[in-house]
Amino acid sequence: MSFEEFQNCARLYVIGALEPEELQDFEAARKQYGSAAEDFINQCYGLHEAFALSLKPAKASDAIKERLMSMVRERSQGQSGSHPA
Amino acid sequence: MPSAVDPTPKAASAVELEPGAPSDVDLMLGIQSGDADALSQLYDRYNGIVKALILRIIHNETEADDLLQEVFMEIWNQAKNFSPQKGKPLGWMVTLTRRRAIDALRKRQAYARAAERLQAEPEQQPLAWVENVTEREVEAGDTRVLMAKMINSLPEAQQQVIELAFFQGMSQREIAFHTNIPLGTVKTRLELGLKKIYDGLKELKDEL
Repeated sequence: MSFEEFQNCARLYVIGALEPEELQDFEAARKQYGSAAEDFINQCYGLHEAFALSLKPAKASDAIKERLMSMVRERSQGQSGSHPA
Repeated sequence: MPSAVDPTPKAASAVELEPGAPSDVDLMLGIQSGDADALSQLYDRYNGIVKALILRIIHNETEADDLLQEVFMEIWNQAKNFSPQKGKPLGWMVTLTRRRAIDALRKRQAYARAAERLQAEPEQQPLAWVENVTEREVEAGDTRVLMAKMINSLPEAQQQVIELAFFQGMSQREIAFHTNIPLGTVKTRLELGLKKIYDGLKELKDEL
C-alpha cells in the first residue's frame, strides 16, 4: 500500500468506516510507515473536530449542568472520604 | 515518504476565548487533577457543540440532554486518558461524544428507524447538513461558518455518504445497502469527500 493509499484509508479509519477486510491491510501499512503513520492518523482526528464545529451549537437545559456538577462533587467527596483510617 | 501536515487550527481553543482565559489543554489538565471548576468551564465552552453533535446523531432533545450529561461525566472520569501530545481536547471530546451517541442510537434500537428516515430525507431535503452561509459570514471568520462552508462545498453525493458514515456510524456496506449505491462508489465518494475536507482544513489553518 502506498502512503497515499494509506492516507485515504486513515481518513476512513478515524470515522470507523473501514470494512473488516480492509483493516488488515491498513494495520500492515500502519506498521510499515511507523511514526509517520501514527502522526497522520492523529491528525485525521481533526476531521471529527471539523464536523462538530460545522454544526450550529444547541442550547442545553440549565438543569443539566447543575446535575452534572452535583454528581461530580458527590463523587469527589466520596473519593476523598473513602480513604482508610 | 511524505510527511504528515497537521491540518487543524493551532489556536488554544476551537472557540473564541476572553483574554487570559485558560486554554482547552489547561482545562483538561485541571480536570485530570480533580478540579471541578475546570470541568465547569469546559462545559460552558463546549456544551453547545457537544449537544449539537449528539442531536445530529440521535434526533431526540430529551435523550440528547441526558447524553450530554453522561458525556461530560465521562470526560471527568476518563480525563486521565487524554494526552495533549496525541491531539486537541475538542477532538478527543468529539470522538468520545460520537461513540457514545452512536452506541445510544444502536442500543435504543432506533437505528433502523433513523436509517429509514434518512433514506427518505435526501429526496425531500437534500443534505440539510449545515445552514446556507453568506459571503459576509465567511468574511467574518467564524470558525463554524468556515467549517460549514467547506463541507457545503462538497458535491451532494459526497456529503450524503459522509453524513451516513460520520453521523450515523454506518459502514460502507450499510451505506451501500441503504442508498442502493455500489460499494465501490461509496468508498470512492467517502475517500474523495474526506480528502477534500482534510485539505480544506489545511488551507484554513492559517486563518483560524
